[in-house]
Amino acid sequence: MSRRLMQAIAVLGVLASGSARGLAHHSAAMFDEKKTITVEGEVKEFQLTNPHSWLLVDVKDKNGKVTTWGFEAEGPSTLARAGIKPSDLRPGTKLKITGNPMKDGRPAAIWVNAVLADGKALNPRAGFAVR
Amino acid sequence: MRYWKHAGIVLLLLGLPFVIPIACRNPPALEAPGIAEAPAGSIPQRTKEENAALGRQHKTAWELYQALKAEAKGGQALTAATVPDWSGVYSRPADKGFTFDPDTPPGVATTAKLTAEFQAKLDKRIADVKRGIEWDPISTCAPPGHPRWLTEPFLREFVPTPTQTWLINEMVNDIRRVYTDGRDHVPPEDRYPLYNGDSIGFWDGGKLVVHTNQLQGGIYQRQNPDFTDQVETVEIWRKADAMTIAADVWVYDPPALAEPWYVQQRYGKLANPDKALRIRYWNCAENSNNAVHQTQDGTTQFNGFTFGQAGKK
Repeated sequence: MSRRLMQAIAVLGVLASGSARGLAHHSAAMFDEKKTITVEGEVKEFQLTNPHSWLLVDVKDKNGKVTTWGFEAEGPSTLARAGIKPSDLRPGTKLKITGNPMKDGRPAAIWVNAVLADGKALNPRAGFAVR
Repeated sequence: MRYWKHAGIVLLLLGLPFVIPIACRNPPALEAPGIAEAPAGSIPQRTKEENAALGRQHKTAWELYQALKAEAKGGQALTAATVPDWSGVYSRPADKGFTFDPDTPPGVATTAKLTAEFQAKLDKRIADVKRGIEWDPISTCAPPGHPRWLTEPFLREFVPTPTQTWLINEMVNDIRRVYTDGRDHVPPEDRYPLYNGDSIGFWDGGKLVVHTNQLQGGIYQRQNPDFTDQVETVEIWRKADAMTIAADVWVYDPPALAEPWYVQQRYGKLANPDKALRIRYWNCAENSNNAVHQTQDGTTQFNGFTFGQAGKK
């Protein structure tokens, strides 16, 4: 089996594994991992911190009211392994982002996948693959 | 005379296509210390089943460690010239989740043979998670502690030196020091619980054999069993191949384990062509959005966020 194929299988394994979804510093019990939400907006701030990074996204509703959503992901090194760089997500960057929302309705979610205007996908969980 | 000069240049140009590939195929041998091939040593490479049986043959981790030391005829001291090359940035594959035994079959809670009391604790923990209740003791930024240290899926470096080896995990700047200069453990009367315990070891060829005691209780990983402050481990670390550092691990913990728990841990070398993967300082408290607390019903909740409605940061 080629190394590239093995790498692809490893990434798919991470994506398919429910166990890998848990956030490594604290439990993800406050999120509803059976639900996903998708919003469109622009980056307000990318907080590259340990143990978790937060991507803050300003989302405007049809009445023009802005809510800042927070999307939680792993720390900077895991994001780097997923190919996610600070330069991808400068303030003002437009994107569509999907996550598992909070159970209590607050505007926060586990960051599952984000798609930039140029089609580039940013999936933090891909950073757990060893390749 | 000047024609001979030109002939020399022509010959040089004609010869370059032959010289360059040969030079590229045969780079100068690296003579720097630390690039030596590891000798085989005396401890054989056993199968997983043989290692599990070996653990059961010894009542304590210390007995197993002493048996391995006898098998290695006391081991060998490393020198600057014989330090193995374990360089690179590694991580533990997470494709099977974060369970302590990476070979746990799907649908099986644990491969450990637990005492009745600790099996009941594990059963309750898993049942609670199914009800949406989960609390991880490291949520307040405490270090994972050994043996959980083995499971975390972040960047790692392994740094052997002649007198001690540093086993580094990026998470909370966590470093285990294994002393191989012949020192003994701290006397029993002066021991107190430590997150990563006290580790001493010896080298047998390219294998680092480690005994760790003086640990404090914790959990092997979320939805995994508990261990107590009586836990002790024996590990054999080696470079399994160019891309893998592997560890055979035996865990002894009489209150929690009905028999020693043997697992194999593997850490893959990460592709790092642009050298961008670097271990940075890890301050768990730097972002208040990450702060959580345990609720009255025992689960996890954020303290509060710096974001939300417009006008709030």
